[in-house]
Amino acid sequence: MVVTLWDAFIRGFHWLLVFVVTGLWLTGGNITYIDIHHKLGLIALALLLTRIIWGFVGSESARFSRFIRGPQAIISHIRNPLKGTWLTHNPVGGWAVVLMIVALLAQAITGLFTDDAIFFRGPLAHLLSNEWVRTLTSYHKQAFDWILILLAIHVLANALYSIKGKRLMSAMVTGKIESEKPVEQPKIVHGGYGFGLLAFNLIWIFWWLG
Amino acid sequence: MSIKSWIAVATIGITAITGWAITANHAQASAFTTASDAVEYRQKAFSLIRENFAYMSGMVRGERDYDAEAFKQRAQALYHLSHIPFEAFTGAGENVTANSDALPVIWENWSDFESKRDTFQAAVKELVSAAASENMREIRPKFMDTARGCQQCHQGYRAD
Repeated sequence: MVVTLWDAFIRGFHWLLVFVVTGLWLTGGNITYIDIHHKLGLIALALLLTRIIWGFVGSESARFSRFIRGPQAIISHIRNPLKGTWLTHNPVGGWAVVLMIVALLAQAITGLFTDDAIFFRGPLAHLLSNEWVRTLTSYHKQAFDWILILLAIHVLANALYSIKGKRLMSAMVTGKIESEKPVEQPKIVHGGYGFGLLAFNLIWIFWWLG
Repeated sequence: MSIKSWIAVATIGITAITGWAITANHAQASAFTTASDAVEYRQKAFSLIRENFAYMSGMVRGERDYDAEAFKQRAQALYHLSHIPFEAFTGAGENVTANSDALPVIWENWSDFESKRDTFQAAVKELVSAAASENMREIRPKFMDTARGCQQCHQGYRAD
């Protein structure tokens, strides 16, 4: 049975975020591209905030309440990672998603408080003391290596699933996944609402912090 | 002794004392004799560099109205300042990282540090020439070269 797993917003969010984070990686740490880095960071912030809201009001498959699972589910998934078809993130992948969202959100927010000691000053740096700005700038520079490790694990895990015949990556493109057993189709919210919310978030974020 | 002799002796004496004074003064030409003074000296110099560059940055980045005269003055000030702090990485300031963002690797890669210093100073010199043109199109690339001149040492030689 073919199930619709990911709505259009989740898929759009995911691939836009891939694009934006790659851009942030390439433009980070180079004063020549700091203004582009700043704008991309704001887009990332809007994407992440919208995803978090969508995790409460969006499609059932995208809700945190569905994919944040306790230790038992995690352990049994690790013992048998290929068993069954999850109509959301699997118990381990769900925590990986939470971790990636938190790490990227922290990166986007600390970026607002950075000062490069040359000419770039984050739009909210004036709110904090110099010591705090220094600390957050340092965090912002160093944390990205950890984010890269997280993303590498994410990509590797999905590549392994593909090799083992679980088409998780294509589900993030088409939105569909094949289930051997008959399952209840998760309630899907039209992705357009998510994109509308994203547009709204982009507008106020750029107006305030652009 | 005749008056002439007195004058001759006095002249020699004054010359000798003045010479000694100048030489002695020269031996203390550095503004610092202790490690902490050297750190303070270079930090103050960098802080002035930063203030002047930030002022120009406001004009280049459109946050402040462009004033050609003020810009030229700041560029000139930056040119002089760009030669100030580096002396304090030598002498009493050599290998000093206490209460400082300077990393020990500066003295391990001293010739690289020097060549980056030279690149920075050359970039500032070009910024001064561009400022004289009073043309933002000429100023902007030289301003960015200078910014890169700052960053090349901030990455690797300055604590994050």
